Amino acid sequence: MEFKKKTLSNGLDVVGEVNKSAKSAAVGFFVKTGSRDESEQINGVSHFLEHMLFKGTEKLSALEVNEAFDRTGAQFNAFTSEENTVFYAAVLPEYLLEVTGLWIELMRPALRDDDFSIEKNVIKEEIAMYKDMPSFDVMDQCRTLHFDGHPCGNSVLGSEASIDNLTAEQMRDYFARRYAPNNMVLACAGNFDWDQICSIAANSCSRWQKQAVGRKLEHYGGSKKKKRVEKSNLAREHICLMSAGLSAQDPRRFAASLLGIIVGDNVGSRFFWELVDKALADAATMQFGAMDGTGAFYSYISCSTDNVTKVLDTVSDIFQSLSKNGITEDELRKAKNKVLSALVIKNELPMGRLVDLGFNWIYLEKYRTVQDDISAIKAVTVDDVNVLIEQFNPGEFTQLSLGPAQDRGLKTENRRQRTDSDL
Amino acid sequence: MKERLDKYTLKNGMVVLGEPMEAVASAAFGFMLPSGAAVLPEGCCGAGGVIADWIFRGAGDKNSRQLGDALDGLGLARSRSVGSSHITIGAALEAGNLAQALDLHADIILKPSLEEDQFELARQLAIDGLLSLDDDPRQKVMLKLREQFYPSPLGRSPVGEIAELKALTAEKTRQIINDNFNLSQTIFAVAGKYDLEAVCHQIEKLFETERQEAAEPVMLGSKAGKYTHIDNDGAQVHIGLMTDTVKPTDEDYYNARVAVSVLSGGMSARLFTKVREERGLCYAIGARYHCLKDAAGIMCYAGTTPDKAQETLDVIMQEFDKLGEGISEEEIQRAKVGLKSSLILSSESSSSRAGAIASDYYMLGRVRGLDEIKDKIEATSVNSVLGFLRSNKFKDFTVVTIGPKCLK
Repeated sequence: MEFKKKTLSNGLDVVGEVNKSAKSAAVGFFVKTGSRDESEQINGVSHFLEHMLFKGTEKLSALEVNEAFDRTGAQFNAFTSEENTVFYAAVLPEYLLEVTGLWIELMRPALRDDDFSIEKNVIKEEIAMYKDMPSFDVMDQCRTLHFDGHPCGNSVLGSEASIDNLTAEQMRDYFARRYAPNNMVLACAGNFDWDQICSIAANSCSRWQKQAVGRKLEHYGGSKKKKRVEKSNLAREHICLMSAGLSAQDPRRFAASLLGIIVGDNVGSRFFWELVDKALADAATMQFGAMDGTGAFYSYISCSTDNVTKVLDTVSDIFQSLSKNGITEDELRKAKNKVLSALVIKNELPMGRLVDLGFNWIYLEKYRTVQDDISAIKAVTVDDVNVLIEQFNPGEFTQLSLGPAQDRGLKTENRRQRTDSDL
Repeated sequence: MKERLDKYTLKNGMVVLGEPMEAVASAAFGFMLPSGAAVLPEGCCGAGGVIADWIFRGAGDKNSRQLGDALDGLGLARSRSVGSSHITIGAALEAGNLAQALDLHADIILKPSLEEDQFELARQLAIDGLLSLDDDPRQKVMLKLREQFYPSPLGRSPVGEIAELKALTAEKTRQIINDNFNLSQTIFAVAGKYDLEAVCHQIEKLFETERQEAAEPVMLGSKAGKYTHIDNDGAQVHIGLMTDTVKPTDEDYYNARVAVSVLSGGMSARLFTKVREERGLCYAIGARYHCLKDAAGIMCYAGTTPDKAQETLDVIMQEFDKLGEGISEEEIQRAKVGLKSSLILSSESSSSRAGAIASDYYMLGRVRGLDEIKDKIEATSVNSVLGFLRSNKFKDFTVVTIGPKCLK
């Protein structure tokens, strides 16, 4: 593995990790922009813009873009979060240069009005799709409740109304401000030729104009509000808990991740043994999500409406016991083993490496080897985790529940049985 | 790229398959136990999920907690699934822990404690899982689709039926485990970094038994129905659609795979282009090849708001119908490159390879090399794919919808 880096005069960072023994290569643009960088008027624009980049350039139509990717057999896509928009592709080494060239072209999209109008429908379908996924919906609504006005609570998708009201002009303006070369990173991992990548980046990206970009960073402890939302078609109670965590820049993030595993990994965690193993809940997980300048612990629980009180009492006992007694050496050892083997497995694929390479550059402007992360995880002590528990007290959380109308539990059961026998 | 396949057969018939991978430090393994949803006795729908949970609740000299702790202590990324034909349990892990993980899995398969109180918890979780499906219409529609499409009992739901799960007893479930955990029909596969001799020796020591008789093959019944609608007051109509195609043993298998790829391989494929890009009808739209040993189909999913649902279904059906009318050379080339590329990309993952070699062995009785698959994909052409489509016209579609609106 060999690390490479070049910065163009307009501020675009190009980073690479070359592994000549890999069978594939991966490339991605990591753009430091997401829903937290939006105002209320343009909520949803980052994600909508991610879709619009696939609609082509002055020279390429949407179909031509898709055909060009598919001709290389690339596995390509993009995603948008609260603070990043990432475009990526995994591909056979012989096509890496071509695919990189294509991404570079797409980073200067046409943003045509007619494409914008058609894609608006797709975005609204995506919003509708997630409404039918309560495990996602509850997290989204809880994030808004937790951040309570802080920009990290902005919805990534936006609402149907905000998307309806959004204009192509507003999107073009947002694009011009945020997709500046000094606000993005081009990253490559796996089997590829660094000099070729550098040369195509220098030739094609140098004319991009540097902009004054920024983001207001403010840590936020969370509202700790509690709310229940009823939805008549739901069968189960979906509960999301959120509490304050530390940032992606904080060296203690490895300890925070291990705490998430100890409390809420999908097997073998405290949530698992107390809630899932005992069949009080059919899902109960907690994880740590580090963000730019802030962070949070997220829990998701799914259970029957009858079990809600017992489940929440149990959760409360788990957090109280954590605060009082901390974690054990044995728990930490198991959590480390799980995290370490997942890390090794993930990083065997160039696509897995790309994600870490890109995000380390976005958040830290640093290259970290897999070994750096392994060492950091191994170095975490019980005390490190216990200090975090004391400081952040995950038992003080924001809570959002999504479930059926409370007096209609029986009716739901009846309707379900009738549906089944109809089949 | 020359991969090596290791194969060893125990005296009782259990097959050990392995594919060493030079570039990795991990190993992934899986045991395919012949006890999937379709081979379980009538009236026990969902027992597979209960079994896959119950056997982990204590085994050998360890209780449930000790066993879970031991597995976690090895850092296992565990996997377990209940399919039509098999329950598969396995894990991916750092290669150095493989031997200990296999010892634990031998206990789980051969010496599960199967205690009564743990059974009740496993069954309750299976019931909860089934009830949760009502809140996940996208997954539910595809399970219903398989149930309706495949000749009974091949598409039987691995999640279960509520009445049958409620009636299931520990005694009955123990009997099912006893009858179906047949080592002579079990396939073990490992890929990644491992020592062949050590693995074979260990598997032999742990799993060598008297040969067991194979179970009677399941009798196939009829398909359930053409169209099923389940009412749900959600935001979208979730559409599942499936039609017959050839099995992996058929000489036209690769023509079928390329045809599906023209329809829905990449973002320039027809469904994505016609349904999403040109009309903006859906966010999620796609079709894929799906097979069991005895039947195969092309499976399609689309999710769309009620006003657009009928048009979505109509356009999808038109695209299926139009496929045999003509395909361009460019489309075939893109489909072939896509299939070959995804084959090679997945060959870097030990989990993917362990799953692929086990599945090949079960479906075909042998494991195909990557070069063989690449050559067969390469050998297809516009003419061979069109010839296949014309002699295998899509005629019967099974459709399932879940949502606020019933379709025609």
